[in-house]
Amino acid sequence: MNFLQRAFNYVIRKPTKSLLLAVTFFVIGNLVILGLGISQAADNAKILTRKKMRAIVSYEVDYNKYWNYIESLEDSDAQDAAYKNYPKIDKETALNIAKDERVRAFNYMTNNTVYGLDIEHNPLGNEDNRNGNTYTDENGNEVEYKEPSFMVYANLFPNMIELEEGTFEIKDGRWYSQEDIDSAKRVVCITEEVADLNSLRVGDTITISQISPAQKKDLIDAGLSEDDVNLELEIIGIYSTKEDVDPNSDNFKWMSPYESPKNRLMIPLTTYAEYAFEVSVAQRKAHPDWFSSGTDEEQIRSELETPSKVVYLLDDPLNVDAFVDENQSKCAEYTRLNANNDAFKKMARPLDTMSFFASIVVWIVVLNAVVIISLVTALTLKTREFEIGVLLSIGVSKLKIVAQLFVELIVLAFIGFGFASISGSLMAGRVGELVLDYQTTSDQKYESDDEDSYVWTSSTDYFTTVTQDQLLSEYHVSVSPLLIVEIFLLGTGVVLIAIVIPSFMIMRLNPKQILLEQN
Amino acid sequence: MSAILKLENICYGYTDGSYKREILKHLSYEFQEGTFYTILGPSGSGKTTLLSIMAGLDKQEEGKIYFMGEDIDKMGLYKYRRNKIGVVFQSYNLITYLTGLENILLSMTETDNKLPGNQKELAYALLNMVGIANTKAERLVTHLSGGEQQRIAIARAIASNVDLIFADEPTGNLDTATEQEIIKLFQMLSERYGKTIIAVTHSNEVSKFSDHRVLLKNGILNDL
Repeated sequence: MNFLQRAFNYVIRKPTKSLLLAVTFFVIGNLVILGLGISQAADNAKILTRKKMRAIVSYEVDYNKYWNYIESLEDSDAQDAAYKNYPKIDKETALNIAKDERVRAFNYMTNNTVYGLDIEHNPLGNEDNRNGNTYTDENGNEVEYKEPSFMVYANLFPNMIELEEGTFEIKDGRWYSQEDIDSAKRVVCITEEVADLNSLRVGDTITISQISPAQKKDLIDAGLSEDDVNLELEIIGIYSTKEDVDPNSDNFKWMSPYESPKNRLMIPLTTYAEYAFEVSVAQRKAHPDWFSSGTDEEQIRSELETPSKVVYLLDDPLNVDAFVDENQSKCAEYTRLNANNDAFKKMARPLDTMSFFASIVVWIVVLNAVVIISLVTALTLKTREFEIGVLLSIGVSKLKIVAQLFVELIVLAFIGFGFASISGSLMAGRVGELVLDYQTTSDQKYESDDEDSYVWTSSTDYFTTVTQDQLLSEYHVSVSPLLIVEIFLLGTGVVLIAIVIPSFMIMRLNPKQILLEQN
Repeated sequence: MSAILKLENICYGYTDGSYKREILKHLSYEFQEGTFYTILGPSGSGKTTLLSIMAGLDKQEEGKIYFMGEDIDKMGLYKYRRNKIGVVFQSYNLITYLTGLENILLSMTETDNKLPGNQKELAYALLNMVGIANTKAERLVTHLSGGEQQRIAIARAIASNVDLIFADEPTGNLDTATEQEIIKLFQMLSERYGKTIIAVTHSNEVSKFSDHRVLLKNGILNDL
């Protein structure tokens, strides 16, 4: 008849007391499940949505912050100087951040529109809407505007995010190597659509130019040759891309050919920067009056080699916040790591509010539970002093008596929580939906505030767009086995704390006094 | 015969405000093995206090108590109560949500002096010895008469395989017939099993059948 058996016997043979305590635990359990269920569902919804988003962080200039800084300057000369010395991302910093073990791949990449001189672009299917682009030049002549047909993507490293994620797949040949990049080799990888359309193979060459035909004519007139402004590239790889334009999107009708992922030309950054630099030098020679004096060559090269942002692909979307927190300090002033979190956080506000209140409810319930169980146990102890006196008189240690009380409470807590985990799961789902409905129909509904801020978007944006509806659709309150384990652990904690006061009472009991009073 | 319990210079008193009332005054006495003692004395003489101190339920202010030559304070009162003695109270003091059998098993589990063999069978045997049948042993003690409960209390006292049993007014709540049965039980334990019984009582019937009667008066024990 050890303390465990005594505890079980007490629970069974004192049914009224046991039932009252079990019901107390049942009520507490339901409230805790409700709170934890709602809170956990909110967290899960955020995690699931986060997981659906790409694990992307970009290192970029914090334009809003810099613009605010410029606006704060009172001196107009200082403002002008600030405009001229726009902050840039730093290559060293970008590479330092890329050393983080969570980085799977990163794009140190610039992009620019170009004209294909001996290749046709892949048609988008919206050409009928886009004919007849003309403009009037300074002499009053109507000139047909020919828009660029390709977009050059120039990366400083061969391990691109698209290759790592499987968006690009080499079909023939190879991707450009680090050696190609370091030696600024004039090589290119083209899509299989462009290759098929132009009957191009690995080893063939293509010629492109970033100068429009009208500008080129002007430069040739000024004494430059075609070679000065054209770039001949050897095709070393033909790849497929999973990306494509969406014919149902709002802007499809007006989309330019270079916006199509099929019309992307992938070349080393060094190759493109060198070409762009040569074109720039040629333009300055031809029309020195067009350019401001004092711009040195080093500055031009630096600008051409510096992308507007560096994009990192991490190993897990859930690591994004920690990655930003840990690496933000490496960024110079007016540059930042952006995880596109602001919009996500605003969207998640109803869930956060609900989770916050649910957590408060849990804490209040737990505190109340500790107080209630402590009081009930202490009061019960008064009626059990005689029993304790007897146990002490036959040499049972006070520790074993406390252990018996603890086991009795734990057994009842587990019974109460066991039933609560069934009823609580049913209740939590319904209450969770009601609270969420209330939250989302109230004034906390997320509305985009893009109109009030500057938003820089480009084709090098890798962030996944998630709507609030998508986020809220992931909100499902369910009582998982893990939650049940948590509740039982919490119950054990409550009982452990609740037993402290009664234990002190037991420790100061004197068997002689108890038994004398009884006799 | 050797002394099973030796009291040496025991002092104990109550403080009531500034007034101190001395109950036990340098009390010394030796209880011999296998003897049935009764301690008599007027009300308020300190009989129950003395029993509590001897049973390790309370501590003397001064003096030493030796069990088989070993100082019980050094031994530890819990260990002393668990392994060396049994106590029988006037109101039985059984655990009410346990059966008679379970009350015995409780004592048997706690002691370090376990009797060899199947504990449950031994518990039944002990209960049978004190006149409790197996069917009654399996009832909750609250469903038994006072006499039956006291028999179980006696069985519990010896269940931890001890040689010394204290009894505080063991027949105080019982009718005359049952009182006789309990007295016989104590006699049997003393004579047949060599147990030392020290009973505090008002009852002449009990003291009449004991081997040795001791009077507690003015804080000291004297043989009668």
